[in-house]
Amino acid sequence: MKIQMSKYPGFIVLGALMAWGARTEAQDTVTAITHAKIMTVGPAGTIENGTILIKGGKITAVGASVTVPTGATIIDASGRVVTPGLIDAHSHTAVEDGVNECTNIVTAEVRVTDALDPRDISIYRQLAGGVTAANILHGSCNSIGGQNATIKMRWGVASGDALIFQGAPPGIKFALGENPKRSNFNVGTRRYPMTRMGVEVSIRNAFLEAKAYKKEWDDYEASSKAAAPPRTSRGSGKATTAPAPLPVAPRKNLQMEALKEILEGKRLVHAHSYRADEILMLIDVANEMGFKIATFQHVLEGYKVATEMAKHGAGGSTFSDWWAYKMEAYDAIPYNAAIMASHGVVVSLNSDSDELARRLYWEAAKTVRYGGVSEDEAFKMVTLNPAKQLWIDKWAGSIEVGKDADLAIFKSHPFAPDTRVEMTLVDGKVMFDRSKDVAARKGVAATLGGGGQ
Amino acid sequence: MMKRHPRPGLALRAGAGLFGGAVLLLSAPAARAAKIPAYAITKAKVVTVSGAVLDNATVVLRDGVVVDVGPAAAIPKDARVFDGTGLTITPGLIDAYSGAGMPAPRPAGGGPGGGGGAVATAAATPAPNPIAPASNIYERVRASEALRARDSGVTTIVPIPREGLVFGSAAVMNLIGERPEGMVVKSNIALAASIATLGQRYPGSLMGTMAFFRQALMDGTHHRAEVGAYEKAPSGRKRPAFDPGLEVWADVASGATPLLLQTPRIGDLRRAFALADEFKLKLVLAGNTQAFEETALLKERKPALLVSVNFDPPRVGGFFGGNDDDRDRAEIEKAEKNPAALDKEGVKFALVSGFAPDFLAGIRKAIEKGLPREVALRALTLTPAEILGVADVMGSIEKGKIANVVVWSGEPLSKDAKVKVVFVDGELYEPEEKPAVPPGGEPPRPGEVRDEVKR
Repeated sequence: MKIQMSKYPGFIVLGALMAWGARTEAQDTVTAITHAKIMTVGPAGTIENGTILIKGGKITAVGASVTVPTGATIIDASGRVVTPGLIDAHSHTAVEDGVNECTNIVTAEVRVTDALDPRDISIYRQLAGGVTAANILHGSCNSIGGQNATIKMRWGVASGDALIFQGAPPGIKFALGENPKRSNFNVGTRRYPMTRMGVEVSIRNAFLEAKAYKKEWDDYEASSKAAAPPRTSRGSGKATTAPAPLPVAPRKNLQMEALKEILEGKRLVHAHSYRADEILMLIDVANEMGFKIATFQHVLEGYKVATEMAKHGAGGSTFSDWWAYKMEAYDAIPYNAAIMASHGVVVSLNSDSDELARRLYWEAAKTVRYGGVSEDEAFKMVTLNPAKQLWIDKWAGSIEVGKDADLAIFKSHPFAPDTRVEMTLVDGKVMFDRSKDVAARKGVAATLGGGGQ
Repeated sequence: MMKRHPRPGLALRAGAGLFGGAVLLLSAPAARAAKIPAYAITKAKVVTVSGAVLDNATVVLRDGVVVDVGPAAAIPKDARVFDGTGLTITPGLIDAYSGAGMPAPRPAGGGPGGGGGAVATAAATPAPNPIAPASNIYERVRASEALRARDSGVTTIVPIPREGLVFGSAAVMNLIGERPEGMVVKSNIALAASIATLGQRYPGSLMGTMAFFRQALMDGTHHRAEVGAYEKAPSGRKRPAFDPGLEVWADVASGATPLLLQTPRIGDLRRAFALADEFKLKLVLAGNTQAFEETALLKERKPALLVSVNFDPPRVGGFFGGNDDDRDRAEIEKAEKNPAALDKEGVKFALVSGFAPDFLAGIRKAIEKGLPREVALRALTLTPAEILGVADVMGSIEKGKIANVVVWSGEPLSKDAKVKVVFVDGELYEPEEKPAVPPGGEPPRPGEVRDEVKR
């Protein structure tokens, strides 16, 4: 996927300002990670024995011959492998009281940010798997679901807002197929739609409504601009007969506002999908209505329509080898990620699970086995590629000077069967340290009366 | 049942005939207002709350008002005189978030909280509209049931429905009389709502609930603008629809009407503040049994805070479980320590029952966990009066305030305390003697499932 950020200059500037705000609050001391094998996932490739300097939450230097300033906090990573923090492009972690607003087919007005729970222990557990950022999505109950939250795993913050990845553009969840038509759920109340036809119509109708809404607002804004200086005809002493501007702004409809943002290219669409026919359907609807799909999520039949996805510019965020758990998942193959990638689709591997999120690195390893993806390209599927899909690659996804110091330190190569995460940093702060965790377990075991390990 | 013929207790040395006759006349509210006698309680310890504790003092009540208080208060000739020796007088307790007189919750579809004897009566009740901003909550109060709260020394309540999302306009009510509207001291003190979800109906999730509030507040503001523009120049314009619900939301959005918001989750405090900042709301926050976790935030924002002593409310059942017994027990223990922890940090709050089956038991538990008794009493009298905007007429024993007072034997709010007599609007009520607490603890409440059974 080519990300044309220059198309939305205002947007990016705002994002940069917000990121700057976060930067200023970070610590001023220098942290140095030394003697590490560094998988940068960036242009520098893999550095066998290198150093990373961190200041103010940012990577300030990386390389084989970096001088460590005096007074720096040193993390000796001899024998360890440092990688960018992993990014989960499909997660429902840290959401309180329901990830689905199931009551309507379109719920574009609801926001995951309203329900974030910074106390969710899953945040810490995912840090233990090297995950530093995630795309927290609304569920798949609706053809157009709620607004997403791109978060960092900042364990210990008090508010949901403090989890937000500053600068990340807003997104929204779409869903196709069995979930929005409620095929696999024993729900008490029947809700439209019950077919794939209905799912398509519900999306098309929503955008027709959004276009009308956008026109209403555009017209209003044009009319209030035109009416700005009050015009009276002095000569006759009468007011002109020009149509009076609308005295009151149109009703602000938060659902329509979100769809308007999609039409304006300001909100990324993440579409839950399985079958090739529905993927093509949504591309058609998007082309007809004039919006872009940022990613197809799950996209188990993406291998059948990878060319069309690449042409649209949509990324694919899929599972490694999980299939046949429902009818629409029967045609899934573990070669999906490899085939999509080979056709020019930006591919990521996601968890969709608090638990699987802790082992995303092994999910990536499976694409080496299934499809012969190179190790470097495979690891991108849980680092740089999801960062690109979420439009946060400016700040995350690889170890490069200027990017956020979101890092994982592995015991060995992240694809090795004996590997594990020793330490995870977010914004340059150590958020998970296995040695401390192991020490703390003794205390916990004591309070439980033994039995801990 | 309201008690019309109070039996004089042992501690009250007034003859039955003396006021028995007078009470008989009190069948209609108008008659009551005219005919209630003056009362003087003498030689009692008076905890005024607003001022010093007075020993061996007299409180004189007439025409529903405290007319005198102090060691040297003059006893009117026509007053009914009680010897208060050994007794303590406090202001009537104010329960600013009460289920008194409100219908029991209807059984949810397999959810918690529907068990016990409530089911049969609730089944006959039609489902109330869970979103009713234009309604008056006081109209739903069953007076005779609400009056039972007086047995706990409560004279004043803000009744709140037990289920729903937007309950309606809240009122301060004195526990007196037969008709709910006659009980109202102050109406429309706030729009009462909860950060709740409605399951099968929108909003069915926390995300949806926040979106609902946001849209409602915006719609109220928009509606007001439309009505205003129409009234200025109606000719040739489409008439805006009459919508009393949107009028209420407009008042809430502009801060003219406070939003009394139940915040059941710990994160809801921040959610409420975020909403308040977006719309300039005036907030009263209710529930907050884990509020101590946000002490720093509360010290910074200093909200009007109602802290519940309902330490074991029905759990919200999530998609994945919610039946973790260990976690629940830990939550209950933390909630019990919550009032004391908040007080220690200097956070001001009112204590409310929050639908607790036994208000006094909850208060005693909070005291047992470290909340000073005098702090508890203030949190049940003057502080809620201040939060509700009625401190000029109630919340303390002062000359000129409404004659809402409680006469206790034993130290008020302690385990040995007994509510001997309650005056509401100057009218005497005497709770029936209840069987003493058995040695094994308090008897099970109706519908209560004890831990032994649960396990």
